[in-house]
Amino acid sequence: MLRFVGFVLLLLSLSACKREKAVQNIDLLATDWKEIELQAKGSTVHFMMWQGSPAINSYMNDFLIPKVKELYDIELKLVGGQGPEIVQLVMSEKQAGSNSGQVDMSWINGETFFQLRQIKGLWGPFVESLPNSQLIDFENPHISIDFQQPINYMECPWSITQFAMVHDLKKTPNPPANLSDLEVWIAENPGQFTISNDFSGMTLLKSFFAEISGDKDGLNGAFDEQKYNRLSGQLWKWINRNKKNFWKEGETFPKEQTKMDQLYANGELSLCYGFGEGSIDDKIRQGLFPNTTRVYPWKNGTIRNSNYLGIHYNASNKAGAMVVINYMISPEAQLRKIDPSGMDANTVLDIDKLSDDWKVKFENREKRKYGATIEELAAYAIQEPDPQYMIRLYEDFRKEVIEK
Amino acid sequence: MRRSSNSIVMIAYAIWVLFPFLYLLVLSLSADWRFPSILPNYIGLKNWAAVLGGETGLVKSFFLSLFISLLVALSSTLCGFLLSRIVNYNKKKNLWTIISYFPYVLAPVVFGACLSYYFLRLGILGTTFGVILAQFFIAFPYAMIFFSPFWTEKTKDYENLVATLRGSLVQKFTKVLFPLSKNLILICFFQTFLISWFEFGLSSIIGVGKVQTLTIQVFLFIKESNFYYGAMSCCLLMLPPVIFIYVNKRYVFNKIL
Amino acid sequence: MKSKSRYIGLALFLLIGLLPFGLALVYALLYSFGIVGIANDGFTTKFWQQVLVEDTFVQSMLYSIVISILSVVFSVGIAMLIAIKYVSKLEKPFMSFVSYLPLCMPGIVVAFFLIQILSEAGWISRLAYSIGLIDQLQSFPSLVNDSLAIGIIVAFVSVVMPFFLLLFISVYRQERLDELAHVASSLGASPLQIAIKIKIPILLHRTRMIIILYFIFLLGAYEIPLILGQESPQMISVMVVRELNQYDLTKISEGYVVAVMYTILISLLTLVVFSYHRSKTVSHA
Repeated sequence: MLRFVGFVLLLLSLSACKREKAVQNIDLLATDWKEIELQAKGSTVHFMMWQGSPAINSYMNDFLIPKVKELYDIELKLVGGQGPEIVQLVMSEKQAGSNSGQVDMSWINGETFFQLRQIKGLWGPFVESLPNSQLIDFENPHISIDFQQPINYMECPWSITQFAMVHDLKKTPNPPANLSDLEVWIAENPGQFTISNDFSGMTLLKSFFAEISGDKDGLNGAFDEQKYNRLSGQLWKWINRNKKNFWKEGETFPKEQTKMDQLYANGELSLCYGFGEGSIDDKIRQGLFPNTTRVYPWKNGTIRNSNYLGIHYNASNKAGAMVVINYMISPEAQLRKIDPSGMDANTVLDIDKLSDDWKVKFENREKRKYGATIEELAAYAIQEPDPQYMIRLYEDFRKEVIEK
Repeated sequence: MRRSSNSIVMIAYAIWVLFPFLYLLVLSLSADWRFPSILPNYIGLKNWAAVLGGETGLVKSFFLSLFISLLVALSSTLCGFLLSRIVNYNKKKNLWTIISYFPYVLAPVVFGACLSYYFLRLGILGTTFGVILAQFFIAFPYAMIFFSPFWTEKTKDYENLVATLRGSLVQKFTKVLFPLSKNLILICFFQTFLISWFEFGLSSIIGVGKVQTLTIQVFLFIKESNFYYGAMSCCLLMLPPVIFIYVNKRYVFNKIL
Repeated sequence: MKSKSRYIGLALFLLIGLLPFGLALVYALLYSFGIVGIANDGFTTKFWQQVLVEDTFVQSMLYSIVISILSVVFSVGIAMLIAIKYVSKLEKPFMSFVSYLPLCMPGIVVAFFLIQILSEAGWISRLAYSIGLIDQLQSFPSLVNDSLAIGIIVAFVSVVMPFFLLLFISVYRQERLDELAHVASSLGASPLQIAIKIKIPILLHRTRMIIILYFIFLLGAYEIPLILGQESPQMISVMVVRELNQYDLTKISEGYVVAVMYTILISLLTLVVFSYHRSKTVSHA
């Protein structure tokens, strides 16, 4: 009896394995924009995004969703999920040969873009078909190149951001800004610095990496195994030499950036870092960070990159997704997104390409009260290196540091 | 003397249980509270206002969750009660018992990742029904195992007695089995309700984030950097079960215990 | 008629209890050999070899087992003690309400709360600082994300103990242990003897299935060790999810290898425990 059940199970699973149908292909890319808007009217778009920030959720729920309903009669529905969850979903949909995806579009950045491209999970190139894409600053390499890979109009830029260091003016008036100063500082202030074992921590390591290479642009170009081995050896040596002075004596590392923010907020850590030029304004306003928190640049530079919107290969409503994305990069939506008391994210639009009245609005926008602007950090901007660096750093940070 | 020391233990236990609820409530009302302050520098409603005021859909999620959890609890408690009777009176009882443990042998997160493929093929991924079914797969074996100690020789003797007295099957259940197991059924219903109410991993995979249960919405905040919002989310999540217990205690549990 | 409904019942039970599990296991198995998986290119044993070469699986498995055993032992022990000594007190309306309350706290909330309370900058550390026990937050002992897994165990016990307490009280009543104790004491047994010879064995015997179930629950627990654990070693679920979500898509199958190995191991363990129990009950009878 049991054996029979097992056999049936095996058959069921095997037969289910490979049965991929051809994806229907209406040529939206050659269709007139008016036609696309018409087709999208009255439809529903499912947008998968990270929903952990009240400021971002409020931008979506209180501004974007009502707007696309009003302007285009589109029902925009948010679906919680990020990075690996998006990739997992697309992978199992491919596996099951699903033609009508659960999700139409998602919010992605470098490493997810890299993975989705690996499994051919994205639909496009669609960005050039969006009328508002003409306003995007594609001349900016931080926008048009994602992890050393040209985006090739397969994903649409939404925001641009720079990584920055965070300190408390009162506790640490003169924070360290290079590796040798940091070494001295953590020896004097043990337990107050750490590296999160996630995207943010690895981004910091990339900065360290570039510094060890002796050049701000030392990591540009394709992945170089020799270079990686040489530099990473020095990096692990530096960390292992100093980790006894890290948080928890370097026995463990915070899993996520959010955890690190909490440690900074309750006073355990004195140095912190993050994208969104440190993203401290909303946290100070919420009463999470002390109001003496400030942002400062790392001397040799920190990563600047963009985040993007992609359409899934099997999206059931590609036209709707295109209309929504086109609105998300409109001057109106992008201006609202800059608001420091709201989502507080930099625009990807080229201000010079805007009409005069929009130009004035963008120039007169409210500025951040505590954080630095991306312009102030421009001299310290480093491009994202090849995704291979990231993957290897992850693996080796575990092998060479965490498990040692 | 002895009596008062007993009371002290009970008071200590009560404080130990109640303190977390109180602490989380205070934390959700505060801001600017960090080492070394023992009390917060701000107490007020700004966190609650920020989240409840801006977010839409929390109320909708609340009712959706309530619907899902009640359905899961009802179906799994009922199925568990009836099927565990058959299984436990069977000669191969031990084999069946081991089988009911199997769904837990696979860690839940892995279970979800593997199941999602089949749910996709059945076209129920990302639907409320799919989430209910997936939660049922977890809650049902729990109910099976939960009820198995109830089906003892003694219970069987009672059943036989009813049969000897020419009682019908319906009478057997309504007059003997349900009254005998009322307390257990209530605990099991409550436990399966909670399993469903708090379920996150499986629901988020099977629901693809489209079926936004309260737990899924709330867990997003707990994972966020702002622990004041996290504390508020915890309060939201725990409020319904606390009310559930309070009401039940007044009307149901008291009569039994 | 009667036996027919019984067979339908058994079939239903198998359908709900076994089918999803079987399907999931088969999928994991196929994935671990590279037969399914978008980033895989067909049958290979390389993922199994890779996992077997590294000792992270064994480490993580032992770590999970030790933590779960300790947590179950503490939970059962404390709950037993309270249940036997204070059963009548706990049935008063207010205490009864209080004893049900902990069930309203899911693991993730307990973990979140313990971080707020027990971390180096947490509330207890602040109390210690204000009364001068420590002079800076770094001197507070590491109780969460710590190398001894104190945080995880405290959280597990907080979640599981209250449940056992309720269970024991319920069985206590059902088995009329008070009457048994009364009889025993009139025969001259001391309260301690009654507890050790009568109450504890009966309670343990009646609830042993659920105790094992909770042990398995804890082995596969995810949220609590995720929040309160260290980056290495990790409990098994945390480790599997890490492997499944990794950036190198060609290595995802390694996560499934770990999942399959874990499942087989725990299944065997369950089988052994059950057959041992059966032989014990048979020899007793």
